[in-house]
Amino acid sequence: MRKGKTFKSLALLLALCMIVASFTGCSPKKDPLTIWVGVESVDFYTAKMAEYVENYKEKTGESFPFPISVQGVDTASAASKVLDDIDAGADIFTVAHDNLPKLTAGASAIAPVRSEALLAQINADNPDEFLNVIDMIVQGTEYTFGVPYISQSLVLMYNTKYLTKDDVKTWEGIWAAAKKNNMQSASLTEAGGFNNSFLVLAINESTGKMPAIIYENGETENCYFTSDDTVAIMQWGQRFFTDQNGGKMPTDSGWEIELRDEISLSVIAGAWKYNAAKAALGENLGIAILPSFTLTADDVEGTNVKAGTVYRSGSFTDCKVFVMKKGSDKAEYLEDILLFLSSIKIQEQSFIECANLPAYKNAITEFPSMRADTLEADLALKQIEMFSYGIPQPFGNPTAHFYYYSKGAPDLIREILENKESLFGTTAAIRTQLQKIENIWKTGER
Amino acid sequence: MENNKTGINRFLTKISKPFVRFYNRFMDGSLGTKMSHFVMGSGNVYHGQIIKGLIYFIIQAGYALFMITCPEVNKTPLGYKAFINLITLGTQEGDIFTPADNSMLMLLFGVVTIGITLMYLFAYNSGIKSSYKADQDIKNYGKVTSFKQDAKEMLGNRFYITMLTPAALGAVVFTLLPTIFMILIAFTNYDKERQAGLKLFDWVGFDNFTAFFTNPTGEIAARFLPVLAWTLIWAFFATFLNYYGGILLALLINRKGLKGKKIFRAIFVLTIAIPQFVSLLAMRNLIGEYGPLQNFLVQTGILSEPMSFLANAPNVWTARITIILINLWVGIPYSMLLASGAIMNIPESLYEAAKIDGARKFTILRKITMPYIVFITTPYLISSFVGNITSFNIIYLLTSGNPKVTGGYIAGGTDLLVTWLYKLTIDEQQYNLGAVIGILTFLITSIVTLVTYRRSKSYKEEDAFQ
Repeated sequence: MRKGKTFKSLALLLALCMIVASFTGCSPKKDPLTIWVGVESVDFYTAKMAEYVENYKEKTGESFPFPISVQGVDTASAASKVLDDIDAGADIFTVAHDNLPKLTAGASAIAPVRSEALLAQINADNPDEFLNVIDMIVQGTEYTFGVPYISQSLVLMYNTKYLTKDDVKTWEGIWAAAKKNNMQSASLTEAGGFNNSFLVLAINESTGKMPAIIYENGETENCYFTSDDTVAIMQWGQRFFTDQNGGKMPTDSGWEIELRDEISLSVIAGAWKYNAAKAALGENLGIAILPSFTLTADDVEGTNVKAGTVYRSGSFTDCKVFVMKKGSDKAEYLEDILLFLSSIKIQEQSFIECANLPAYKNAITEFPSMRADTLEADLALKQIEMFSYGIPQPFGNPTAHFYYYSKGAPDLIREILENKESLFGTTAAIRTQLQKIENIWKTGER
Repeated sequence: MENNKTGINRFLTKISKPFVRFYNRFMDGSLGTKMSHFVMGSGNVYHGQIIKGLIYFIIQAGYALFMITCPEVNKTPLGYKAFINLITLGTQEGDIFTPADNSMLMLLFGVVTIGITLMYLFAYNSGIKSSYKADQDIKNYGKVTSFKQDAKEMLGNRFYITMLTPAALGAVVFTLLPTIFMILIAFTNYDKERQAGLKLFDWVGFDNFTAFFTNPTGEIAARFLPVLAWTLIWAFFATFLNYYGGILLALLINRKGLKGKKIFRAIFVLTIAIPQFVSLLAMRNLIGEYGPLQNFLVQTGILSEPMSFLANAPNVWTARITIILINLWVGIPYSMLLASGAIMNIPESLYEAAKIDGARKFTILRKITMPYIVFITTPYLISSFVGNITSFNIIYLLTSGNPKVTGGYIAGGTDLLVTWLYKLTIDEQQYNLGAVIGILTFLITSIVTLVTYRRSKSYKEEDAFQ
């Protein structure tokens, strides 16, 4: 009897605790101004915001009205997080510029930049390529939405034990070294639409023209991937990826192991893979811009392209931008904070402390830190050099992004390059496949 | 035909019963009970049950207040407006400075308001019943129960109701309402082009289901059946190979005369002690092109060159078979433990009797051991099959659904329905299609569970082995 009573009392107490805990958990908390940055930069931007708050007090004589919370997020998924629950998004957050279309679809989840000072800073500090991709049209009117502060592109990370600086100027140089050492020339981190840009966006070295046209002027229909040059480039790529010492498609073991175990001489990767590459190669890690390649008579067969034409591997050259949540109750403070966070001074400090490549257009000449003799500085320089051989991801709307990445076009490119069962051994077969890819880019259908 | 008629009649009688009782209470009840139909708690107050009456009245007042004032959460109203919004899913398109109506929240709040209304109706009915009971108490005993007595009853004989109520409410709030919400999303065009709060989405009837079934030339329909087929194949092999593998192992370990049984058992249990994702990732590295296993195979000449067995496998079936085999590693110890438990509990007298009757070892296995194990472990077998249909970790960690399949509409060669659902919703924000897959998965798992369990001996002969 007594036992039963004790049990009931305990059960009731537990239920009461749960109810109290629920109410406590749901009670409103003091609402800070929230900033989401990449996980690697949290400490840096926390310190900078502390500096900002001090400056604010000096300038206005008043304390900043809100506590500030700088939080680290996976910047690749920040946009999706915000779209899942707009009200739960940070007041300021960081995204890659190609996320702007989905954030500004419909009535837009982010607020446009209206401060003249901030607009002037954006226009003065950023290269034209970035300025072209941060403006979006919402319901017929164009606004500036993103504040660039970091940039990034693909580079070549290679093993200096086997490759010299001269070798890595051309794929042929790397290929020859691979043959000599019975290794493979380069690994890919992934075979998706971003990583295959080293071939898709290849640029003619002498004319500076890129044969592929991808959503030019933001138009879904403005795509072209069936030129003779593209056919020739694909034939070169096929030769490269079907040779036992050529390129290496992703494996289950992963590119890190291939690099570490000296199966591959190099990897085509973005700066975000730098730490992993360094862990794999240690002191033997070298950084270079993506190499060029020369089309042979075999490569140009069936096209009007001349043998000997030189192409440079291209890259998507992206920027990360700060954006502001629409309808934030702290809206009046956000643009001033962005003016500070995207300033040249902070960009340089961010480069020194977090190895973030600045978006600032004159960084290479004006930042002494970028001329240092370090691998990090080299990584930054090579990325900036790659900006001459790339374009920012040009997706003006979420549909184009979906068509380009998710409707199977990268797999069709891979099929050409791997040429399994010799299905793409003829120019005609390659042309047919390229037509399908172009159709997918334009319409989502083959 | 006659049977059908009786069935329909029985059904109609059953569902009309509460309404008949409701009507009878109104007609037979006292003035207080009649008043309770309009003002909750008035019947209890009428009978002198002031506190109880007040509680009911507060519930009604609270509900009325909730419905009329329409409190807003994230600028989306609840209350009666939520009912209207549930139909329209928003009308305000929004612009660059003002947000659009959040169709997703409107749908959610509509469901929540329906839930609250159903709970209110339950309380409303309970209030009338309480007043009617007071009528009966006065009629039979000449007095009504006090609040103290009622409270004592709730902590005494009806304590189970007191404790079950929060659990039931939790199940409604955290399971039932989200499920209804998910089902409703399957009937909208909520996708990446109509993000909540940016662009309104709308009801589209069965269009999403049509995309899965009636358009075999379409990408989704073309991909759905292969993914479903692989899901069922996977669930079958992952379940039965693990199950019989576990039993076999248990039989070997529990053989009479085997020394170090506990050590063997402990060794196999170790694989359970190690977190599953660690085992899976270790396996992935082990059999990778440049992992130690393939190094060994190449060096011994069994393989001429490294090959991919998982995400980059040249053939989809290579990856599928590899996954099933790896799953044996993580799954067999569970069924081994379970079967061991069952084997150790088989009464020794059964074996002795069988031996006296001259039964051979195989006959004993077939007639005693196996039926006993199967009887005990059938519920595990069913839950394991259902669990494998919705198995996410193994596929996601080993292959992420790859190798890629041409025209796969985001689904790779090893994607199950759940991993496809994950990719559609998390990666591609195609919530409507994801919801359809969710419903189909739910239907498959529930049908399999119901049919198999109800036909199993564990259900039919519950007391057989007691």
